[in-house]
Amino acid sequence: MITARLEPSDSQLDSLLGRASPLVKLGISLAWLVGLAITLEPRPPLALATIAFAAGITVGGIRPRILLGAVAPLWLAAVGIGTFNALFSVSNVDPAAAELLRLGPIRLTIEGVTNGVALALRVVAIGCVGAVFALTTDPTRLTDSLVQQGRMPARFAYGALAAYGAIPRFGEDLATLRQARRIRGLGGSWHPRLLVGLLVLAIRHGDRMALSMDARAFGSGPRTRYREVRWQLLDLALAVVSAVLLAAALWLGVAR
Amino acid sequence: MSFDLEPGSALLVVGPSGSGKSTLALALAGLIPNEIPATVSGQLALDGREIRELGPVGVAARVGLVLQDPSAQLVMDRVEDDVAFGLENRAWAPSAMRDRVPDALAGVGLGGLERRRSRRLSGGQQQRLALAGALAPRPGLLILDEPTANLDPGGTAALMAALTELHGSRTTTIVLIEHRVDQAWPLADLILALDADGQQLDAGPPAAVAARSGARMAAAGTWLPTALERELAGSRPLTESAAGSLGAGGPSGSDGTSRPGTPIRGAEVVRATDLRFAFELGRPVVRDVSLAATEGERIALVGANGSGKSTLGRLLVGLLRPDRGTVTLDGADPARLAAADLARRAGYVFQDPERQFLAERVEDEVTLGLTPAEVARVPELMSRLSLPLDRFGERSPYRLSGGEQRRLSLACILIRRPRVLVLDEPTFGQDRNGYTSLLEILREHLDQGACLIAATHDERFVRDVADRAIELDEGWVFSDGPVDQWAPAVSGATGEPAAPAESARS
Repeated sequence: MITARLEPSDSQLDSLLGRASPLVKLGISLAWLVGLAITLEPRPPLALATIAFAAGITVGGIRPRILLGAVAPLWLAAVGIGTFNALFSVSNVDPAAAELLRLGPIRLTIEGVTNGVALALRVVAIGCVGAVFALTTDPTRLTDSLVQQGRMPARFAYGALAAYGAIPRFGEDLATLRQARRIRGLGGSWHPRLLVGLLVLAIRHGDRMALSMDARAFGSGPRTRYREVRWQLLDLALAVVSAVLLAAALWLGVAR
Repeated sequence: MSFDLEPGSALLVVGPSGSGKSTLALALAGLIPNEIPATVSGQLALDGREIRELGPVGVAARVGLVLQDPSAQLVMDRVEDDVAFGLENRAWAPSAMRDRVPDALAGVGLGGLERRRSRRLSGGQQQRLALAGALAPRPGLLILDEPTANLDPGGTAALMAALTELHGSRTTTIVLIEHRVDQAWPLADLILALDADGQQLDAGPPAAVAARSGARMAAAGTWLPTALERELAGSRPLTESAAGSLGAGGPSGSDGTSRPGTPIRGAEVVRATDLRFAFELGRPVVRDVSLAATEGERIALVGANGSGKSTLGRLLVGLLRPDRGTVTLDGADPARLAAADLARRAGYVFQDPERQFLAERVEDEVTLGLTPAEVARVPELMSRLSLPLDRFGERSPYRLSGGEQRRLSLACILIRRPRVLVLDEPTFGQDRNGYTSLLEILREHLDQGACLIAATHDERFVRDVADRAIELDEGWVFSDGPVDQWAPAVSGATGEPAAPAESARS
């Protein structure tokens, strides 16, 4: 279950990154993802993945094994995307491109391989940034921060938080529905009716959640805050440092 | 109906399934008609003011509500945040909240768990957390709609202890809706008894209501406390007459430990050897379990929430594959059987009826995948389960009451007459009449030589049906023997298992 794999532990939440404003971390992560999207060179994603990983295991308090495990599903995707793009790069048919290898009809060029490696590294970097964010951020604190610092409407934000908490249910719902089909003699592991069942269960659970939230006076007027999220010097420092690092990494891509 | 509640008193609302108990709870909580559209007549006043006039905000300021399913009531990830949620919504000052949250948690016996993740608590702890959340704003009125329905005996006892303490303080008026009233009856100052149509049968102090209307309540399908049931039946438990008919099913057991009327053991139908199972990334929920069951055997699987009962049941009929160990069902590995073949040999009814429905209409649901011969038996079975097709056939399974959903899910499997029948909480939400007809149908089927394995917290069902009890504890077999040597106090006394919420549900 992906949610269990990405659940932050208490020591991760008490780390330097864990104490920073979730909104600032979200902004940094998004900026880095945009930065990763605008470069096609291999060096910037390599640098950003390394920085994110190093930050995660030091100031993020994440054990290297946990962080590697969280990114693991993306390794396979990265290798696949990299290989595919190296093999079928448009540079491979460009006579001007430097040939690396020729196997019958397949021609590998340095440009093509570079491109494939860059794309693979981009996937890994995205995974590292996302995992470090998720592993140092408590969902409740993220919501508090979005509402208090990001001015997101409370009704939407806490509704989304409750829905997020219900995600593991969907897995259990699906497993039970499939077992229910099997014990009724209906073969096959997949059937469109399962989707209908899942949808009905999700809606009914949502209805019940909404009812009990309303019964607890949710949305009845102005709210106070049990946990005040305050801007700290740490947030400013983190934003500045990561902006510099991002700029440096992108500069690696254009420098010759 | 008409009733008047003094501040600080406790009202117990009882009545058969479908008598409108939950509707009354939602009306008292101001959710009907303020949130859920409905036609309402008559007067419902809180502190002397009409509920419609108060509006959702005014009602929420005065009322706390606890519902059946703990997992649908927890909003926040952390225990303390969840308790504070209702205070934030009522705009409490932060300093007042910081004082009140630990108090509210201590009041329900969850002191010290402030920083825990609410979804990691056991079902019983989650329900007490919901109670703390409802009580934190110090509501004048607390409404509980079957709060113990999903709990094991330990969880039920802890919740009722918290309620008893609250009632002792006389600070909050309590309205409690329950099917099984043994624990709730002593708490009540007033009983409101409803009949099947939602009409008021009687209202008054418990002793007076029992004396005046006990027989009529029982006839309407309402459970009474066990002691009163005995009195009514002339020192004979309610279901003994039905149990007597069992004697016709077969001669007494020869080993002296079987209950009278138990049929002679037949061939072995299920065998499990050294079963071990863990969900992904979790600790094992079933550990080194070995057991064999024969034709005609009636086994109760008992133990706290999260002790592995449901998982073991699914392993036995091949809905889950063990990590280690083997299962044989009629000589085959059930996990490898084709679905059609498996469905002929075994039946399984899941704990949560809603999660197993596969059709949009009741009639389609119960006839799904049946042979024509089986389809022909459907109308009679459905009528006996008080779900006659002419009234229920066109309805949506999701729109039935909890008790009706339970009977429909049982009908879907019982209609096939499988040789091995595994049921998870078969009596959940059943009133007296539902329980009695279910027992009759089950017994007829079992007398044909089927083997029953039922995971249950319902002690009455264990005594009425089972001849053998297997108690699980943290996935291990804690005890296995004739039911008359089983001491239910063990599971009741374990209090709170430290089980994760996921396994509490499975």
